[in-house]
Amino acid sequence: MPSFKLDDIDIPFEPGDTVIRAAQRVGVDIPHYCWHPGLSVAANCRMCLVEIEPPPGRPAMMLDVLAWDAEKHEYVPQKKPKLQPACQFAAADGLVVKSQSSQHATRARSAVQELLLLNHPVDCPICDQAGECRLQDYWLEHQHTKKRMKDEPVHKPKGVVFGPTIVYDAERCIVCTRCVRFCDEVAKDPVLSVRERGNLNEIVVSPGRKLDHPYTLMTEYVCPVGALTAVDFRFKARVWFLRSARTVCVGCATGCNSFTDFDPRTQEVYRYRPRENKAVNQYWMCDEGMLDHRRIGQGRVLHALVGGKPSQRDAALARAADLFVSAPPETTAVVLSAEHSLEDNFALLELARDGLKTQNVYFTGRAPGQGDNVLRDADKNPNTNGVKKLAPNAKPFAELVKAADEGKLTHVLALGSQAPADATALGKIKHLVALATHEGPFQAHAAIVLPAASWAEAEGTFVNRQGTTQESERAVTPRGDSRPAFRWVHELRLALDRPPAWKKLGELRAAMQPASAAATGARP
Amino acid sequence: MEPIDQELDPAEIELPAEPMLLNVGPAHPAMHGTVRIVMELSGESIERCDVQVGYLHRGFEKMCERGTWTQVFPYVDRCNYVSPMLNNVGFALACEKMLGITVPERCQWYRMALGELARMSDHLTCDGAMAMELGAFTPFLWMIKGREMIWDLMEEETGARLTHSFGRVGGMAHPPTAGFKENAKAVTTHILGIIEEVERLLLGNRIFLDRLEGVGVVSAEDAISLGWTGPCLRACGVAYDVRKSHPYLRYDEVEFEVPVGQAGDSFDRFMVRIAELKQSASIVRQCIERMADTGPVNVTDPRVILPPKEEVYSTIEGTIQHFKIVMEGLKLPAGEVYAYSEGGNGEMGFYLVSDGSGTPYRLRIRPPCFYVTGGLERVITGAMMADVVPSFGSLNMIGGECDR
Repeated sequence: MPSFKLDDIDIPFEPGDTVIRAAQRVGVDIPHYCWHPGLSVAANCRMCLVEIEPPPGRPAMMLDVLAWDAEKHEYVPQKKPKLQPACQFAAADGLVVKSQSSQHATRARSAVQELLLLNHPVDCPICDQAGECRLQDYWLEHQHTKKRMKDEPVHKPKGVVFGPTIVYDAERCIVCTRCVRFCDEVAKDPVLSVRERGNLNEIVVSPGRKLDHPYTLMTEYVCPVGALTAVDFRFKARVWFLRSARTVCVGCATGCNSFTDFDPRTQEVYRYRPRENKAVNQYWMCDEGMLDHRRIGQGRVLHALVGGKPSQRDAALARAADLFVSAPPETTAVVLSAEHSLEDNFALLELARDGLKTQNVYFTGRAPGQGDNVLRDADKNPNTNGVKKLAPNAKPFAELVKAADEGKLTHVLALGSQAPADATALGKIKHLVALATHEGPFQAHAAIVLPAASWAEAEGTFVNRQGTTQESERAVTPRGDSRPAFRWVHELRLALDRPPAWKKLGELRAAMQPASAAATGARP
Repeated sequence: MEPIDQELDPAEIELPAEPMLLNVGPAHPAMHGTVRIVMELSGESIERCDVQVGYLHRGFEKMCERGTWTQVFPYVDRCNYVSPMLNNVGFALACEKMLGITVPERCQWYRMALGELARMSDHLTCDGAMAMELGAFTPFLWMIKGREMIWDLMEEETGARLTHSFGRVGGMAHPPTAGFKENAKAVTTHILGIIEEVERLLLGNRIFLDRLEGVGVVSAEDAISLGWTGPCLRACGVAYDVRKSHPYLRYDEVEFEVPVGQAGDSFDRFMVRIAELKQSASIVRQCIERMADTGPVNVTDPRVILPPKEEVYSTIEGTIQHFKIVMEGLKLPAGEVYAYSEGGNGEMGFYLVSDGSGTPYRLRIRPPCFYVTGGLERVITGAMMADVVPSFGSLNMIGGECDR
């Protein structure tokens, strides 16, 4: 593999790489604002300037400059090498690049940083970006100087509403155009552009439009400073109090990799952030997914219900066990859910097979929605493929409704909260026990409801539309009396006196392996 | 009448020589801080004893691992709380050693002057308390009056009498006040007068001398093997003083002597402290003579020192600097360092381990009192019960330093 030298480190690169991309791949950071690995190169922030040594035997490209001589108290002519932006400079074999080791590059960075802060407002105390702001980080790493300008800074519009999700502050903006390029290149909706020049320039929305495509929150995400802020997160939390869990978005079948940012003190989830995965979601997430964290707290079932009335969890569990202990297998059924993880579904399926001895397995999930060819999938369930793999013979929701309508089912244990279609027939099932996270048709028609933990409150494995199996970490502790659905199944099986072979999550996952192998036909 | 004890052997009339267990502390007023001594007495002499220091446990080394490096200052204040300035400066020096920075000259003289004043406060307390515990209440009051003057001066400089939290990595929280030099000169003059009076009152007093001379003797070898440093070690005749042996700040530029004792008894420890009081007063004077009236007190590296408040509120650079240092903490380079200075009771060492983040990875304090107190058992075993209090007092155990 060809390689070049960056500050005496050998950096291998692939043909077509720029210096910054090759360096980033091996974990060497060259400071930058406008460059983003998922966007085109703009090379307008000038933060990534590096010194490139001329090829052997060739003179370096030198510029005439005037340097201030403090002793003589005047400007004296000097020469300095022409610096190149690392984000635009193509890597070449044997190239010698000087970044931190070049005094010209470090001086240039300090000057660029000073220029960017020239008209910056004193906003850190009220800025949502504070704590994860490039301007702050790079001031400390590359500038270190105090303010020299004594004039009043240029004032520009603040609090400009770009659309339903984004508010723009032109004074904080460094016009790196990442947001503009994102809208053009990824969201394919060129709704943002730059107006004016010099220190008067700012980002504007096209006249007559709003920033309202399905990926608006990514403009906030790519913004390296606090210019674009999300209405959803604005003034809600300070980022240094938040911790992150590595999770998978459950908004649709795409299964974008994300970080779930939560406050460990209040166990409250505040936002999602995309987590890079080249194979699934690149660097991005859609608005629907980014705002999906709201569902963690909305319309939740937090306490056990018996006959619609709140109940002690142990009492509800005992009642549920009473119902199923002598249930006739032919009129007993379980309902799997594409909303839930493989673990939850596997535990339930195993209960049906070994505990309830029934062959009646159905599955449910959320109703389909809009999809596009960027990220969003029309299937709004994170685990449809997982359920299909686990139980290829599971019957769809329509057949559940039909069977219920015909009175063929007396005892049903259902996982999941939402139904893809009209579910009034569920009311005809005499003994419906629901393991539900949210209010919905199952919770409404169930004789007994056991509160299940949501995706943010439990570890789980999901299989996305590509068939990729992805694990999601637990972020917060389960709310109220809720607990992971597989735990409920475990307890129910103990109460039924038909205990499963597993106790812990690790054992459950181990037990799951042959089952998924069986599903793909590897075991007779 | 026949005498009733005619047939008895005189040995049988003696009371049975059963050892008596006596517990002193941990909350006894003579146990300067929470330390407990369990003694096995034979008559009035101590056959065996067990000194237990674990009654004060705040876990300050663990606490230090939570906040930023700057947030450690209030904790080190509470190690030797009679001379907190020495701990402050000692810790600041350790961090600066790690960062490879040196504070401006004015700050170095200021640190030395304040530190020597703190040492005087320490020694005045120890010697005053020793006299009081032997019944001489007047010298105690006089010496505490001198200490009050120092504390008033400290309050003037730092805003707090006892726990100043005044040191900073890369400087001090504030520059010296306008009246510092004059006040320090007045205070030292006054204290030298007090010391003279105390000497006149005590050193001709038979009772005082008899209770201290030849009591609580420790040999130089024992003291070294016990890890003793400071006045207690110097009383044994070993002239080890960090300020002389490994000069830091500008101690190599001031003139002072390291007073040593000969016998290593309680009296020598008392006298070494008296002599050191005079030396410290002389160092304070030399410092304020050489300290410039103007000039920077803090280093200029913006990654280390907080910007002035006006800049924080009016410029973005100042705000960012303040934000980074307060929220993330100043970052010490990854590595470890042991830095030591002369505390009130000996070598005050800080062993720092940094992982390069803004929070201490591990912080170990070598408090001189811990080692000195470790030798108490040897000092009082075989001694008379009544000698425990003056011997213990002469070691000047500070509870806060023995926190384990």
